[in-house]
Amino acid sequence: MITLDNVSHEWGEFSLKNVSFSVDKGEYFVILGPTGAGKTLILETIAGFHIPSEGRIFLDGRDATDLPPEKRKIGLVYQDYSLFPHMTVEENIAFGLKMRKIPKKEVETKVQSIMDSVGITHLKTRFPSTLSGGEQQRVALARALVIDPDILLLDEPLSALDPRTRESLREELKRIHKVRGMTTIHVTHDQIEALALADQIAVILKGEVIQVDTSSKVFNEPVNERIAIFVGMENVIKGKIVSNEDGVALVETGKYQIHALSKLIEGEVNVFIRPENIILSEARLKSSARNSIRGKITDITQLGAIFRIRMDSGLTALVTKQAIEDLGLAIGKAVYASFKATAIHMTRR
Amino acid sequence: MSITKTLSGAKRQRLSLIFLVVGSLLILFTLFVLFNMVFRQLVLDLNGFLEAVNDPLVISSILLTLYASFLATLIAVVLGTPLAYVLARHDFFGKNVVESVIDVPVIIPHSVAGIALYALLQSRSAVGTAFYNLGIVFEDSLWGIVVAMLFVSAPFYVNAAREGFQSINPRIERVARTLGASQWQAFYKVTLHLAIRHLFSGAVMAWARGISEFGAVIMIAFYPMIAPVLIYYRFTTQGLKGSQPIAVLLILVCFVVFMVLRLSTKYWEKRK
Amino acid sequence: MRKISAKGLTKIQSVIISAVIAVALVGGFWYYWSANTGKVVLKVFCAGSLTLPLEEIKIKFETDHVNVEVRIEPSGSIAAVQKITESDKLADVLASADFTLIPSMMMPDYADWCIRFAKNRMVLAYTDNSRYADEINSTNWYEILQRTDVKWAFSNPNMDPCGYRTPMVIQLAELEYGDNMIFDNLVVNNSAITVTEEDGVYQITTPEELNPDTTRLKIRGKSVELVSMLQEGGIDYAWEYMSVAKQHDLNYLELPETIDLSTVTYTETYKKVEVQTTSENIVGKPIVYGVTVPTNALNRELGEQFVIYMINEYGQNVFLDMGQPPIVPAKTENMDNIPESLRTYVTE
Repeated sequence: MITLDNVSHEWGEFSLKNVSFSVDKGEYFVILGPTGAGKTLILETIAGFHIPSEGRIFLDGRDATDLPPEKRKIGLVYQDYSLFPHMTVEENIAFGLKMRKIPKKEVETKVQSIMDSVGITHLKTRFPSTLSGGEQQRVALARALVIDPDILLLDEPLSALDPRTRESLREELKRIHKVRGMTTIHVTHDQIEALALADQIAVILKGEVIQVDTSSKVFNEPVNERIAIFVGMENVIKGKIVSNEDGVALVETGKYQIHALSKLIEGEVNVFIRPENIILSEARLKSSARNSIRGKITDITQLGAIFRIRMDSGLTALVTKQAIEDLGLAIGKAVYASFKATAIHMTRR
Repeated sequence: MSITKTLSGAKRQRLSLIFLVVGSLLILFTLFVLFNMVFRQLVLDLNGFLEAVNDPLVISSILLTLYASFLATLIAVVLGTPLAYVLARHDFFGKNVVESVIDVPVIIPHSVAGIALYALLQSRSAVGTAFYNLGIVFEDSLWGIVVAMLFVSAPFYVNAAREGFQSINPRIERVARTLGASQWQAFYKVTLHLAIRHLFSGAVMAWARGISEFGAVIMIAFYPMIAPVLIYYRFTTQGLKGSQPIAVLLILVCFVVFMVLRLSTKYWEKRK
Repeated sequence: MRKISAKGLTKIQSVIISAVIAVALVGGFWYYWSANTGKVVLKVFCAGSLTLPLEEIKIKFETDHVNVEVRIEPSGSIAAVQKITESDKLADVLASADFTLIPSMMMPDYADWCIRFAKNRMVLAYTDNSRYADEINSTNWYEILQRTDVKWAFSNPNMDPCGYRTPMVIQLAELEYGDNMIFDNLVVNNSAITVTEEDGVYQITTPEELNPDTTRLKIRGKSVELVSMLQEGGIDYAWEYMSVAKQHDLNYLELPETIDLSTVTYTETYKKVEVQTTSENIVGKPIVYGVTVPTNALNRELGEQFVIYMINEYGQNVFLDMGQPPIVPAKTENMDNIPESLRTYVTE
């Protein structure tokens, strides 16, 4: 449905370099990248506000690179919602329909219907400045959806909201996508959002597309160290493959050895382990976890509902409060960090 | 009960109160200067004032002044709005020069501006001859007055309009485009609507500036006499006694017009 | 939702746009209806002090010539001439408060002839509220002007003949009253104006920056501004033409004819003072008004007709009433260039 072919453009502080990816019809595509990576500019380029200096953009099979924005059937929702301040909610939503010269009666019906489905009918005569963030978000969505676009572009739609609203709107987006089956590109820096919503994720760092994959692949098999760090793979260990027996490689890190399920048979490697895949115990675990490494706790930090434990073995784990109490974890205590050979992702260095 | 409430409320607004007191000095200054002149005219020489009111030359002069400035403002709006939009939205090579050029008429001494306009537009100059062949003469005509007023008042409109457009986030225009609006529609239905207050107050300022222009107008069109020129002329022949009534009448007329404009914008806002 | 008409304009918008167009059109019609009178325009550039008498003559002239509109543009005399010689402006009649400006600045390119038609004299104008008003006379005026609580003024010598004539009068006063400190005390000490003497001729210099000591002396662009200042009480005494004082109902002190630049008999005495302004050097002479019809005038014959109204018996009476004694009959340096229509009114 959407294909970017080697798109490059210079904006001064930010630039796109050889960006290529494809989005299938009906797919929920997330562009993941750190804040300020110019993700808004990517969306604006797809929407047609910037003509790339190199590369082409294809929409629905046709070359749309030179097509003006109003001729592309695209709905756009900005991070700050950009509602028309001088129009009521109703008028905001009706705007796109009026532009398409749709007869008045039909406009009223469509507007009413979308307001009902998004849950904002009670706001219809209000002006944007009197609405909360979440309410504005819904209005912006309704305004974009009512014109039945082929493509929906969302620019960090949930970033400015408090966690509760964020969650409920996230579910809303999921539901709408399920119901309408609309091709969606959603730009965000939040990994949870990406995981929850995406069919495919493109990771963009410094204007380049580094990896395009399904969510689980991006999170569990990042292609390089940069992405790994970005997606929260707290454990990145350098090592050298000593041997490989039956698909299980033995990696020497200098401090300890790791058994990892891998096709690689030799060479210098990066070993990636997600912190939540590590189990802590007071004694060495006799379980299916092939790796059990001893270390002293150097740091305990609370992150919301879970705790991050750093050890002097260089490993980081995430545990619940219950686990801390049960195990009596404290700084200085020696514990065993265990993880399966299958919980490891390895790439050549 | 209400006094103590007011006092304690006042305490909390201390900064605003201080600012109000300081600021009111400026208002009072202007007020006293004008009030003194109007009072002296109406109370000490009411006859002179009534004579001026009944003098057809005075009336037509004031009407001419308001009308000529109205035309100048109209031109400034029609030509200046697109200019202001471009300046607000785009950066280009030489933009600084353009913005400086717009402000130059504000700095030039008015008589110099008038002479420059005359030199360019008088019917025997190159440009003037072209206009003459179209039936337009600038010296001693309404066109000359309008041009002189336009020259000095346009910067006020353009700057106000540009700030108005700059205050509107371009994202709003982009969203309108994605919803199917062409560039013109996005400008007309969204940007213009949001900027209209700035544009209107810029136009009023330009209009006011045009009305008070003397030095530039007198160089290119002494006749037909706009009010400032008539006041000067009467001053020459009859001194303060002959000119003050006209000045007072002009002040009162302008005051009424501005009040009406202000009230009608308030009314317009309310009806939204 | 608000009502929106077919073209997408709200009701209010249509109302406003119609109002604007209506005003523009109605105003346009009104202007063209009042401006296109179809009359011939006769333009007169004159010195400020001639505006009132010329206004009266204009009324009679327009009554007698119904298809003519006379437009009077007053300014300083030098500015009036410069409008013609430097700004390429056209006038049908040019009347100056100093007739010598016509031969010196306008001939031969812009004028062929010059007629002297009226005179004036320098006086010291004041009001009943001026300090020492009841004390001042023609022998103690220069002493009163030196008193510390007296404020006096004259106009800018570089812009207005009334302005350069004032230092002439004050310098001539030294000769008349035998007191060679008068000019120094009144002028040199209060401004940047200077004087030197050589062979009995006093050369006064008025630089561009006059720097008057404004606690005592004020200098203004046009002499008529001084009238307001007198009436307001901002100054006590102002140097003016007698005509101006009379026209504005001011008190005035007449000075000895040997110093007030009024009488042809004393031309040799007046010659003893000269003023170098920023544009030229002017020799003291009696104040005589001059008029001409510029060579590039659009309506030469009509202009000459207007001049007739200035120098015939009717015109002479007008000027007499205004405190500007007419020269009877009007005189010229050289009869050769005087137009036919005017010959009977002028002598050499």
